[in-house]
Amino acid sequence: MSANFGGAGIKYSGAPIPLTLTSINYQKGLDTNVTFTGSFHTTSAMFGVLQTDLGLGIQAYESTAEKFGVTISPMLNILYDIHENNLRLYPQLDATCWWQYGEKPHLFYGSVGTWVELQKAKAHLQIQDNELLPFVTVGHQFIGEKWDVQLELKYIGFQHDNRNVVVDFIGPSHYGSAGLFVGVGRRLSK
Amino acid sequence: MKRLIYIAILGLTSMSCLRLDSFLYNSDTSISEYLLDDFDGETEIQVSDEYDIADSLVHLFTLNSNLDGDIASIYTIYVGDIGRISSDTVILYLHGNADHLDRYWPRIKLLANTGHKNRFGVFAVEYRGFGLSEGTPTEEGMYVDADAAMKWLKEQGLTDDRLVVYGFSLGSAPATELTANARTLQPSKLMLENPFASDEVMVEDASGLTLPGSYFSDLEIDNGDEIQKIEEPFFWMHGTSDAFLQIGTHGETIFKNYNGSYKEAHRIEGATHTNVPFVMGYETYLDAVEKFITRP
Repeated sequence: MSANFGGAGIKYSGAPIPLTLTSINYQKGLDTNVTFTGSFHTTSAMFGVLQTDLGLGIQAYESTAEKFGVTISPMLNILYDIHENNLRLYPQLDATCWWQYGEKPHLFYGSVGTWVELQKAKAHLQIQDNELLPFVTVGHQFIGEKWDVQLELKYIGFQHDNRNVVVDFIGPSHYGSAGLFVGVGRRLSK
Repeated sequence: MKRLIYIAILGLTSMSCLRLDSFLYNSDTSISEYLLDDFDGETEIQVSDEYDIADSLVHLFTLNSNLDGDIASIYTIYVGDIGRISSDTVILYLHGNADHLDRYWPRIKLLANTGHKNRFGVFAVEYRGFGLSEGTPTEEGMYVDADAAMKWLKEQGLTDDRLVVYGFSLGSAPATELTANARTLQPSKLMLENPFASDEVMVEDASGLTLPGSYFSDLEIDNGDEIQKIEEPFFWMHGTSDAFLQIGTHGETIFKNYNGSYKEAHRIEGATHTNVPFVMGYETYLDAVEKFITRP
């Protein structure tokens, strides 16, 4: 179980800040190769939006020494607002390569993934031509006795020109948004 | 532990009081008087003395605006001869979301030079909660304040056929709403500069996803759809470098969705959200406005 905060980097009054999005996350191993994961997004809840993501982490490959592996994660992001009952579903697919090192062992990982847009039209019946919201991630998980700390850099929507957008996103060469995420987790049982 | 989590989730959701609506109204109520020509704070454009208006033709006064019994005294400026409203064409200028009328005074003066100095009357409204106007800014408040201005114009003898509504940025909301769903007067022409399609478009622009506006705000501004109800001739101008309201998603959507009797577009290369008249060149801008207002 973990708590996470952070988000896309933006400029606010000229100063770079991360959007402060928060969530709580639960993971449970279903067997040696499959882990269930679910998150509840607490910042969204404060806006009256119930946002959760549910999915599986499937071990697609693991080296014999269990030092290196590839995990595939199909997920579903569900958002529903209590104000106007608007529901959105965004399937998500991630592929993560990870390396374990040290005695604990700590974990370094990198992943690519995307949210999938299911809506065919934007507001006012305009054509929806952004079918994917891809991202790349690099992160590190420090493993303690019971507590883990996770630091993650994420680069989201790198195909989108972020100039002339109402929010001043921070992204290389004016594309997408780079963000920092921090997670603190506690293992409830071994 | 589980119970605690359930309580936290229910608590957070039931609070659900965070909304971004108020960020739309970037008003400044710190002033103690309107300075107009003497204002030395931030304005969106600067105009030279040649566009100055004689003091005798600048009328600053208040109107009462009634929002479901909540009566606010709102400030207005009429530029022109009030005695000629019964025969003049009047431009009702509805300003953007920033500060107060002093910020927009150079724009108002400029419009009062359309054709020639004081050819048309120009009437500008300070929405409730902006500048010295009483109250708190709200979407419906903007509509009733703009309608209060129309009531006053009607009392002075203005008729539908001589009312042109000009909405800049946020002002595109009351301009479009009161043209699509006329209350006191039915404007004969609609002009929008760097208009706002809806909060939903803002959310889509920012997220890259088709997230509903209701996830973040209670705003019901919907110019992108309301424009479809309008038959009256429509003039649209928008800066191609508008970083606040993108031309492609806000302006083009409104222009495309208009299906009325006549429309014209002015896409101003390199202009931002606030400087379209400057980038166009003031005389070119005034010519375009005059041609639209005077076209049969």
